[in-house]
This record gives sequence, structure tokens and C-alpha cells, in this order.
Amino acid sequence: MPLFKGFNMPVFDIDGELVEYEPGEKILSAALRCGKIIPHYCYHPGMSIVATCRMCLVDVVDMGNGRPAPKLQTACSMDATEGMKVETLNPKVEEGRKLVNEFLLVNHPLDCPICDQSGECTLQDYAFEYGSGKSEMDYSKRVSGWRDIGSFVALERNRCIQCSRCDRFTREITGTNEFGMFNRGHELTVDTYADRPMTNKFQGNMADICPVGAITEKEFRFKRRAWKLKKNRSICTGCSTGCNVTIEHDRNEIFRLKPHENQSVNKWWLCDEGRLTYRIMNERKTRIHQPLGRVEGKLEGISWEEAYSAIAERVGDLSALPEEVLALTDTHASNEELFLLQKLLKDIFSSDNIFCPLPTWEQSESEFFINTLITTDNTPNRAGALALKIKGDAKSTKLKKAIENELKVVFVLGNPFEAEVEVQEKIKRAQLVVHLGTFHNSWSEIADVVLSGQYYSEKEGTFTNKDQRVQATEIAVKALRRTRPEWQILMDLSASLGHGNSYSSSADVFNAMTEQVKSFADLSYAEIRLFGKELNHKTKDSGMKVVKAHT
Amino acid sequence: MAEETLVLFKNIRNPKYDKSLSAYKKSGGFKSLKKVFGMKPDEVVQEVKESGIRGRGGAGFPTGLKWSFMAKGTGKPSYLVANADESEPGTCKDRELMLKDPHMFLEGLMIGCYAIGCHHGYVYVRGEYFPSIKSLNEAVDELYADGLLGLDPMGSGFNLDITIHTGAGAYICGEESALLDSLEGKRGHPRVKPPFPAVSGFNGCPTSVNNVETLACMPFILGDNGVEDFKNFGPQNNSGTHLVSLSGHVNRPGVYELRMDVNMKDIIYEFGGGIRNGKKLKGVIPGGSSSPVMTADEVDVLYNFDDLAKKGTMMGSSAMMVFDEDTDVVKLLHRITRFYAHESCGQCTPCREGTHWSRQIIRDFLNGNGSEEKLLRLNRVGGNMMGTTLCALGDAAAMPIQSFVKKFPEEFRKYYATV
Ligand SMILES: Cc1cc2nc3c(=O)[nH]c(=O)nc-3n(C[C@H](O)[C@H](O)[C@H](O)COP(=O)(O)O)c2cc1C
Ligand code: SF4
Ligand code: SF4
Ligand code: SF4
Ligand code: FES
Repeated sequence: MPLFKGFNMPVFDIDGELVEYEPGEKILSAALRCGKIIPHYCYHPGMSIVATCRMCLVDVVDMGNGRPAPKLQTACSMDATEGMKVETLNPKVEEGRKLVNEFLLVNHPLDCPICDQSGECTLQDYAFEYGSGKSEMDYSKRVSGWRDIGSFVALERNRCIQCSRCDRFTREITGTNEFGMFNRGHELTVDTYADRPMTNKFQGNMADICPVGAITEKEFRFKRRAWKLKKNRSICTGCSTGCNVTIEHDRNEIFRLKPHENQSVNKWWLCDEGRLTYRIMNERKTRIHQPLGRVEGKLEGISWEEAYSAIAERVGDLSALPEEVLALTDTHASNEELFLLQKLLKDIFSSDNIFCPLPTWEQSESEFFINTLITTDNTPNRAGALALKIKGDAKSTKLKKAIENELKVVFVLGNPFEAEVEVQEKIKRAQLVVHLGTFHNSWSEIADVVLSGQYYSEKEGTFTNKDQRVQATEIAVKALRRTRPEWQILMDLSASLGHGNSYSSSADVFNAMTEQVKSFADLSYAEIRLFGKELNHKTKDSGMKVVKAHT
Repeated sequence: MAEETLVLFKNIRNPKYDKSLSAYKKSGGFKSLKKVFGMKPDEVVQEVKESGIRGRGGAGFPTGLKWSFMAKGTGKPSYLVANADESEPGTCKDRELMLKDPHMFLEGLMIGCYAIGCHHGYVYVRGEYFPSIKSLNEAVDELYADGLLGLDPMGSGFNLDITIHTGAGAYICGEESALLDSLEGKRGHPRVKPPFPAVSGFNGCPTSVNNVETLACMPFILGDNGVEDFKNFGPQNNSGTHLVSLSGHVNRPGVYELRMDVNMKDIIYEFGGGIRNGKKLKGVIPGGSSSPVMTADEVDVLYNFDDLAKKGTMMGSSAMMVFDEDTDVVKLLHRITRFYAHESCGQCTPCREGTHWSRQIIRDFLNGNGSEEKLLRLNRVGGNMMGTTLCALGDAAAMPIQSFVKKFPEEFRKYYATV
């Protein structure tokens, strides 16, 4: 790779600006990459080019050979060439867009007030920009009717502009071919084949790529106007792929997750299951709302100070040996939280008795990239735990050996080993069990002290995905009042046990980690924030087994 | 009476000819193929270039040039596909060839295959042409039985197969890239060009799509002194004879084989025997329903590619539709527009919406609701399809609308609403 990208790249001219392109690249693709806006509907960078919506018209005033193109050209399908001059804003182009837009609207219902796409609809935007505001269409409009096409998305065909993105999606992206175009001419429409509901696990993407309100997510229908939503970058923690998402919320309620393009991780896509994880972010019933302490066998609300001092007092009384201390964590904890928990054990108890479940998992090979998104591995920060050398194995045998000792102090972060009754029985007998978590589970039931943590949509943190890429989450919504981020709880706990750390933020912890943990060396928080970065020192065995797709 | 010039129809016009392989051979058939097998493929392409033949499918693109564009050294097979989808309204010339002298066309196809190095030629036949399909299949069977198709015909070492493939009756599948999609088993939707079929056509391989009549000219062109004779049949750049499908209000409609220097007037009044019932001529659609209409006083012109282009219209597939003074031009335009609205594949916006909208406007006229404003709108909507679509169907739908409005505005006024 050349030092900077433009070094060897040819250039052409858009509206007087020089734009670089890769040989074979189309005008539209190069323009979009450089932040130029050219209206378009059918073009999608991840799919084949059909050049049918005719919206991306530009005026090629010089084709690179001194001659102009004979008529307006579709930017999505025309190759950029050296010395080419393209105008995207002249009156001829505006006129061209205007007429395409008029055609798109003659049969469009324009029911924006009840359309979920409203506010993020490019048809609406361009109609506003190029439309005359008055229709010359005197006749009744085409009606194609509503279709129930699947569990995840709704299809309102009257709004369809026949851009064929959805059709190409099931052919080229998922390979499931269950959706396509039907009829001809002005009756051309979209539907599933043979009235069967769609089965692919990525239907939500069809709602994303549909430029209008024809395909929308059922889950989001009629819930919020799109323009009310505030958006924050985050990572989906549904599995270890770590798809980049935006968390979209209003008044502290989360309404949906949308994919955020990251070519190194999820490209433009997100699976439906991942989208549904937004529900748990709004969950309140099973949340741990405040610190709890066991009084006469029952958990009761206490203050943070009471919780910390109770723990400190008990730990002082017990003066546990290293092997009598244990920490368990799941892999929903961020790198920073894992690091601090490990550090707490080491600093206070000189112990490295920290375990997490690391089940083996299989990744099936597929010719379709999108199928590699969903993994059966729902341990979003497995690679982070491995990088920190936290102990664990598929069958929890190491852990079972460790709990043979008389346990005095046990810390549990999240919900690890939830199905291992034997482990839980053993730990129940420990002198002090402290649970840090967001939701009530079997651990909070046996804990002596419960510390109320925060969900990843409420705090900052970094996660290491299956490719050992470290990625960051942002605070999207305000957390419950009497909860604290786990990294802070662990820091406070450590201080109350006599070993103060003074990190002011999760990012601060991350920076300390890059200094103290070899795997994380040479990373900076600033650098991973946008698109993440792979570890410079990777763990060899991630527990993944690649299996051939059965055909 | 004026005479036809018989090249393609030399057997068909012989009442004793029975279209069998032996009859075709007796008439001199397959001599050209034999000669071609002794030439280098490039030499064949060169001869075709020199003959100046232009495609008879509608666009009039030079065939020799098209063949010379075929990508070479790609490591992929090359394909020649005969376009027998003949569905431009008014056109019925390929049908004559396939039905009455299939071997001449097939010999032409075989010559073409040799010229571009294709070992498997396809004929994509319009689905409704049942008798033509039968005739072609029988002819191909004869060729296989005779050893002219299959392994090593005439000891040439050039193996060749031909498959007759039937369409399902869609006009758009006559457009070459939609035809290839359909041939691959997909929906017939025109593709983005470039890449042109010569680079990426059938199954992504270099492909040439040629009209049936174009290919049927090959045995003559590659026969003795064919190139020179072919050029002499018409003015420069318009060589050869061509098949004219004459229909409408003439006394003798039919397919005529004519030189390219025949006057259109003579085609109507000599070959066609004039307007039926002694009526006066009102106008002519000169080259299939998509070509811009001509009025009665414009028809004194040579009927070939260039002379018609100079008049602002086109020869297209040489299908002349003649209409007399009693014809309701608005109804005629409605019928044409209905055809394009029905046959548009619908993928691109201006054609999908424009064909239907313009039809709605014309129907509004027919219902007596016309107005000056609506006429302007019709012209605008038609014009907005011109040059703005992916394939030429958008143009094909726009040209009649714009030309009818321009040339017969008073006819539309008859349908203005009276308030
Ligand atoms: C909408 C449309 C329909 C067409 N239909 C036919 C047809 O029925 N037969 C045909 O030979 N060419 C048809 N063509 C032209 C073909 O695309 C192509 O140019 C032609 O087959 C090339 O053959 P030629 O070079 O021998 O003319 C059509 C073109 C368009 C745009
Ligand atoms: S698809 Fe867009 S333009 Fe159409 S009704 Fe919905 S918001 Fe409005
Ligand atoms: S449903 Fe949406 S994505 Fe599919 S063709 Fe219609 S507008 Fe395009
Ligand atoms: S111009 Fe019409 S027929 Fe041609 S591709 Fe576009 S919609 Fe289809
Ligand atoms: S984006 Fe170019 S034609 Fe649709």
C-alpha cells in the first residue's frame, strides 16, 4: 500500500474538484467516497449495478478525450476516466433529475404522514428538492396492495419505486432467492415467491436498503418518527462478530439498532437477532436498580457506601489466602472491566483465580459473506478475555478444580456459568459472595452483596471481537439513577479494600491496559473509536472451529 | 410493374421450392459455407465488413464491425445468437425466412459462427411463432442427419451445434441484452451497457446477437462475387436488398424483397398497389411502430437507412404501416402507446411511468377530455422518455408520441373537451 492513498491514483474532475478513483470505479462511487452528493436510488455499493432508477444523472462535459457525452449519463454505471470532467449541478442536470423525480411521484401515494420512512426517505428529500410541488397527474394511481412477507419486515408495495435493491439483496447478498420482481411495465412490483414468507435471517437489511417506506421493520412500525431519534455509535453484543451499530433512541427509550458501515466487520449489514437486542436495553423489570445487601437472609436496598464498607469489613475479617478467593466473569464485560477485576484480585489478594466460560464454537463456511455475521458464539468479548489470559475452557474443568478449595471471597461479574448448578452450589457456601451486574439472575439470589451495574448502551467500554478487533461503545442513553458503570464500581471497590486506582474514565482504564497488558500494547483509544483496530499481538487459539457448509 | 430483387427470396418466390435440405442444396445452398470453411475466420469478417451490410434488426449497426468487436483471447467460449424474436409491430419478415427457407438462414448462422469462432449457436425465437419453431427444428434435425451440424461438418474440423430456443412472448426479449438474460433462464431485463455483449454476453462470454435477416444475407455475401453484387443493390452505406413488411391500408400488403434505392412512394403505389378503396394516403409509419410517423407529402424518399434518417425518421426493421385518410390518428397512437406500456419491462423509471402515463393521457383524449394543456403534457411526458432510459424501448415509445403530436396536432383538437 502506498503511504497515502492518492499517491498513485488517477484523478478526474467533478464540479471543478479533483477526485481520485480506482481504475474501473464508477463516477458515483468515487464521488460518494469523496463526500459529493449525487442523488440515487438503485445504486448500492454492495450490490450489482442496474442503472434503472435514472436519478443519478450527471453531465459529462468531457469524457477524457475532449468530447462531451451526447446526453446526460447515469453516474452509477459510467466508468471514471483520466481527465474526465463531470458536472453534477448545472441546469441540464437539475432538469434531468426533476423529470425522473416527477415520474417517480406520478404513481406514488405520498402518504408521508403515516409512513415510517418519513424523515429518512430519499424520495421525500429529492421530491422536496427537485419536485415542483404540484402534480400534473390527473388519473387514479396504481395500487398494488400490502403484502405480509415475513416475520421481520412489512411490505407496502404502493410506496415501492422498483429500484430492485431488495431483489438483488436476496439474490446477491443472502443467496436465499426468496424475494423478487413480478409483472412488467407499470405493474412491475416486488413480492416473495409462491406466497411463502421470507426465511432469511437478515430481513432488516432490506428495510435499511429500501430507499422508501415500502419495506419497513415491523418492530419499529408506528413507534417513533425517524427525525426524533438520536443516534449513538455502538457495537452489537449479540455475538462475537461485534457488528457496528447505531443505537437509536428518544427520551431515554431505545427504539432500534441500525447497522453502521464498517468494511472490516459487518460491511453494511446486521442480522435480525442482533437488531432485536434493543429490547433488552429497555428492560426494567429484571434490572438491578440499586445496591443490595443481605439482611436476615433477604436482599434489601442499601447505599453505595454501606455496600462498599460492608464488603471491606468482611474481607478484612476473612483474611483469605489467594486460593480462597475466586472471581467469575462472563464475556459481556468490556475489556476494561475484565482488566480491573483481574487487577483487583491481584492487587488485593495476590490471586489470579479469575475464570470465565469459553465454550468452543463452530463457524460454518459460506460463499455469502453475510452468513459469517451470525456466529453461534454469543460471547461478545471472548477474545478480550483470552487476550487478558483470563482462565477458562470449554468444559469448565479448570474452574471445577479451583472450587475444590474452601472458598472465602467470591466476585461474580454478570452472569457466567449460569447453567452450571454444581458450580453455583459450591460457591453458595463461600463466606462472601459479591455480584456485580445489570440483571437479577441466580447469582444475585445467592449473593451477600449485589452491586448495580449498567448495560452497555449506558456506559463506555471496548470489546474485542472474533477477529480480535478492539471496538468501542458510546453512551447512548442515561443509566438508572442508582447504578454505576462496572469499571467504576471495580475501581471504588479496590479503593475501599485499600488499593486505590485513579482512572477517570473507561478510556483512561483502556490506556492503562495498553501499558500493562502486552496484547493491547500499541493501541490508542482515539484510534479504535471510529472503526476499531485489530490487536497487534493476537491470541493464537480463539476456540473457533471452521466447518464446511453442508450443501 | 416494379420487380422485386430476389436474393433472400430467390427460393421462396419459386413455387416449386419445398424448403427441404435437398431442395436448398440443389439451389446452390451450402456452397458458401464450404467456401467459408476454406477461409480464415478473420477473412470472413473482413468480407462481411466490405459488403457494408448493416443489421436488419432495427439499429442498422454494421455487422462486420460488430463481429470484429468480439473479445478475443479471453479463454471463454464465444457465442452467436440469432435474434428471431421479431415483435416490433408491423414486422413479419424473419417469419417468412424461417418458415419458408430455414436453411438459408441457418447457413448464414453457421457462417457467422465460423467467423467469430462460436461452436454453439442459438436461435432465440419468438414464443408465439409456433410454425416457425417447427420449421426450424425440422431443418436443424435435417442438418444433423446430414452431418452438416455436429462433429466436423464437411471435413472442416469445425464442430458446431445449434439450439433452437423459444421465448415466452415478450417484446422486450428482442432487445439483445434482455434476450440473453432470457436465454440464460432469467427474467428478460435489459442490462447495463457497457459491457456490451461482444465482451460479456451469454453467460458472461463474448456474444454477438444478430437478426435473422442479417444472417440470411451471409450465404449471398460469401458466395461468388457476393460482396460486390451486394454493394450494388443500394446507394453507398446502404448495401444489399432488404425485406420490407408492408402493411396497412394498401391493396397488396406483404413482405417484399427490395433494393435500397427504391422510392417509398413506389413501394406504396407500385408494390402495394396503392391505397385500398381508392382512398387518399394520410401517413406512413416507416420502420416499425417505434419510428417517427411521416405524413403523405413526405413519402417521396428513397427507402433506406440514411435517406429516412435525413427526414428525421428511421427505417428500423423496414416495416411500413400505411394508413389512409379515414384513419383516426389519435386512436392509432393510443394503440401504439398501449403496446409499449404493456411491453415495457418496467425497471427504469421514465419508461415504466412514462409509457403508462402517456397512454392514460391519450385515453383521456379519446374520452373527449382533451385540452391544449394536456396535449403539451403528452408531448412533454413522451419527450421525457427520450434518451433517458436504459434500453431503446423508452425511445421507441417516445418517438411515435412526439411525432404524432407534431405532425397531426389538429387530429388531437377534435378530442378537446367542449365547454
Ligand atoms: C425494445 C427492443 C426490441 C427489439 N426487438 C428486436 C427484435 O424483435 N428482433 C431483432 O432482430 N432485433 C430487435 N431489437 C434490436 C436488437 O437489440 C439488436 O440490436 C439486434 O438484434 C441486432 O441485430 P442486427 O445487428 O442484425 O440488427 C430490439 C431492440 C429493442 C431496443
Ligand atoms: S416512501 Fe417516502 S415519499 Fe413515500 S410516503 Fe414514505 S416518506 Fe413519503
Ligand atoms: S421494495 Fe424498496 S428496495 Fe424493493 S424495489 Fe421497492 S423501493 Fe426498491
Ligand atoms: S427502457 Fe423500458 S424496457 Fe428498456 S429497460 Fe427501461 S423500463 Fe425496461
Ligand atoms: S443510481 Fe444510477 S440509475 Fe439508479
